[in-house]
Amino acid sequence: MTIHLYLSMIPEALIASMLTPEEFGTYYAVGSQKRARGQAIFCEVDPDFRHDFFRIEEGIRRCVPHEDGSPKRSIYISVYRVLEHVPLDVIQKLYLVTQDGRVLGLDSSPELPTETTGLHLYQEIAPVHPRVVSTLGPREFYELIVKTPTSLLSLPAVCFVELKLGELAEDPEHGAVRDLPYSNIDHLRQCLVELKTKTVHSKMVDRIHPASFAYRLIKNGIFIGNEQQLLYFPMLSQEELRTHHYRWWRSANM
Amino acid sequence: MPASQFWILIAILAGCVSVGAAIWLYAWVHRQDAGSEQAQEIASWIREGATTYLRRLYLALTMVAVGLGIIIAIVFSFDIEHLGTEAVEVNPLRGGELATAFVIGAICSAAAGYMGMTVAVAANVRSATAANESINRAFKVAFYAGAVMGLAMVGLAVIGMSTIYLITGDPEIVLGFSFGASSLALLAKAGGGIYTKTADIAADLVGKVEIGIPEDDPRNPAVVADNVGDNVGDVAGMGADIFDSYVASTVAVMLLGASIFAGDATQQAKYVMFPLILCALGIVASLIGIQFVRVGENGKPGQALNRGTIFTCVIFAGLTTAVVILGGYNLGVLWATLAGLITGVVIGLTSDYFTSSDNRPVVETARVSDSGAAINIITGFSYGLISIVPSIIGIVLATLISYYLAQRFGMSGIYGVGISAVGMLSVSGMIVSADAYGPIVDNARGIAEMAGMSQKVIDTADVLDAAGNTAKAITKGFAISAAALTVLALFAAYAEVVGTRGVELSISLRNPVVIAGVLLGAITPPLFSALTMLSVTSNAFKMVEEIRRQFHERPGILAGTEKPNYAACVDLAAQGALASLVLPAFLAVVFPLLVGFFLGPEALGGFLGGSIFTGVIFALLMSNAGGLWDNAKKFIESGMYGGSGSDAHKASVVGDTVGDPFKDTAGPSINTLITVMSLVSSLFAPIIAAFHLF
Repeated sequence: MTIHLYLSMIPEALIASMLTPEEFGTYYAVGSQKRARGQAIFCEVDPDFRHDFFRIEEGIRRCVPHEDGSPKRSIYISVYRVLEHVPLDVIQKLYLVTQDGRVLGLDSSPELPTETTGLHLYQEIAPVHPRVVSTLGPREFYELIVKTPTSLLSLPAVCFVELKLGELAEDPEHGAVRDLPYSNIDHLRQCLVELKTKTVHSKMVDRIHPASFAYRLIKNGIFIGNEQQLLYFPMLSQEELRTHHYRWWRSANM
Repeated sequence: MPASQFWILIAILAGCVSVGAAIWLYAWVHRQDAGSEQAQEIASWIREGATTYLRRLYLALTMVAVGLGIIIAIVFSFDIEHLGTEAVEVNPLRGGELATAFVIGAICSAAAGYMGMTVAVAANVRSATAANESINRAFKVAFYAGAVMGLAMVGLAVIGMSTIYLITGDPEIVLGFSFGASSLALLAKAGGGIYTKTADIAADLVGKVEIGIPEDDPRNPAVVADNVGDNVGDVAGMGADIFDSYVASTVAVMLLGASIFAGDATQQAKYVMFPLILCALGIVASLIGIQFVRVGENGKPGQALNRGTIFTCVIFAGLTTAVVILGGYNLGVLWATLAGLITGVVIGLTSDYFTSSDNRPVVETARVSDSGAAINIITGFSYGLISIVPSIIGIVLATLISYYLAQRFGMSGIYGVGISAVGMLSVSGMIVSADAYGPIVDNARGIAEMAGMSQKVIDTADVLDAAGNTAKAITKGFAISAAALTVLALFAAYAEVVGTRGVELSISLRNPVVIAGVLLGAITPPLFSALTMLSVTSNAFKMVEEIRRQFHERPGILAGTEKPNYAACVDLAAQGALASLVLPAFLAVVFPLLVGFFLGPEALGGFLGGSIFTGVIFALLMSNAGGLWDNAKKFIESGMYGGSGSDAHKASVVGDTVGDPFKDTAGPSINTLITVMSLVSSLFAPIIAAFHLF
């Protein structure tokens, strides 16, 4: 059986597994006994990837089938400071898993999303996961916290997603909420207003927010960056999701 | 041939044409493409579940019908009301006739329900398959299947009532037919309501809330029971409910006609027959109106259904006017008929106002939901209370207009009230056709989802389903109002029957016995509602355990590699629903008799009055509030106030879950409860008039 390496973002971990990405996603979200539930985001990593920080060979040696012949589902190789030690060129595909175990694979794109006007909302996924509003577009936001930090706060690598703000992006005070499900919307509006009135680039909306979020809120895609490069995994269009990934789309819209 | 006999034959002929059309449509639906193997397999699970439930229900009903039939045969073989005043005559023929009419009533109601449900479970997969071709085709399959229920129901009712009257010439025997139909309707409606919400709530609680899987997901062990529930509750149940009101209102007016015109045989024959004539005209109008229900390639199904209803009403009004004028009937009955007809449509539309997401009540309930479930429930409940007002005003207007217009033309006012109920219900063929269409397209959507059909099919099914929900809301308002007017007519019939036995009813609130009766009657609908809703919660609790057990013991179900045991949930729902019917049925049949025999006919009059007042209010409140909460949730899911997953959505899900047994279990069953209690009272009125303690 082939052994795969997976870089999990929720929670941050490097895992060896004999399951294919789709099987692993389902297992990872709902457990082997299917008694758990929870969103998962992970990437498939080049199986030949090795790094001194990780005891990958040992993990792979322990990744053997069970006595009944069934594949080994997971061997955790590391659960600490994983993302910063994985070079981005070994990352192959990113997978979004719904809480009931439906898996959607996304390919990376060399093109970053087109810049839009208005304010931005970012959910950091790993290694920390605050929710932040910003005047900066995704590339500038990544550069601010990874490459050229202007404050004391910086990260060696980051995985984040830009979430939809709808009318609030242009008109935080009066824009209609419509299908934005954010809790405490008044606080979010206030934070956005402060970006417009104060000379700050970014403001934390929620410092203890869980890393999970509704996939339907993804504005453009998922970003993974370190000091060397920035990877962008564009989200499929609503139409494409409904037509070709209906089951995933239904679960994601729960 | 006397005119009355001519009209009886016309009525029977209209009934036969209606049943014939239903059979033709039944065969037409079965000839349509049943789709892929996978879709057919899913449909077969629903079909088997529905058939299993119906078999059990009808077995239980057979025992009830036989038992009650024997009691009726024995009791009414004796001229008991004259006991003590003169020699008691034994007339087994009368008892036998009444018992036979009772059994035939139950059989006709069961047959209409069976036909409607078997075609519904055949049409769901065919409509989903046709959706791949066009919306027009899918709509046609679903609506024609709904029309099977509508046409079979009115056809069998008219054939049954007319034939019994033709043979016996006694409207009191036809009352037995009505009692049979109502007894079955009560059990079918309450049982179906308990079944459908047991499955729905349990499927949602474990599937959506605990496991996090979407609705209609084939991994949910309760998904088939949920789909079966749509059929047993909304097709068979609602059909039986309207069948019951349809027959009861007709019989009540026949009894009133027989009593009011007792001194003039010609007039008596004419006005006893008149409600049957209206039924026959309603059938003709429905058969024509159904032809106008068409959807173009980009047409709107809701508009097509409304067009059919409006055409049916207009045709019916035209035919009635012609018959009244040409047949030399009193013009008062024409105005009463039109008052009932218009009121029925208007009340149906007000129900739609309070439950449609285009209007303020639903939008406002959705808007406040981000403040939590409590605010959602308070707002929805308040609008539910307000929704009672226009319907009650409609009933008041129909009652007063029909009463005074009938009197203005020299006709009995109370006969006019009864005729307005018949006028309202005469177009039931069309109304039930539109209503039964709803659960068929709902199931079609579920099958499309489970079978993984294309996006086009699901989108088409969504459009069809939205129209079905509106039709359902309109029918509920219509059914409750019709039941209210029917019960008023039955109440009058009860008073007339008691009066012919020498007891003049004086329902004075200064009489403590009457007050006692009013209060006892007033508590019956709330108590009945509580019993049925508690049955839902206790049965849903058992089913939740079963679903958890399946997920727990067989992890392959959630992984999608193992098929759940759908039959286990179907069995649980069926057993639970039937076992839960004992107390509500006892309440409906025995409680009025206890009040009558212990407290007397005046107390029973008060009892019926009390039950009508709280019954209509509870039925309207629960049906409308439940529909409103449901649509507030759907409105948020459509992308308003934060959409799915928002705080508002979570609150609206709580409101919807509270509203589920309101709108689909207790609310609509109250119609049948008050009709059954009125029928029991009317049937046993002669005996109660002779034997009572107070």
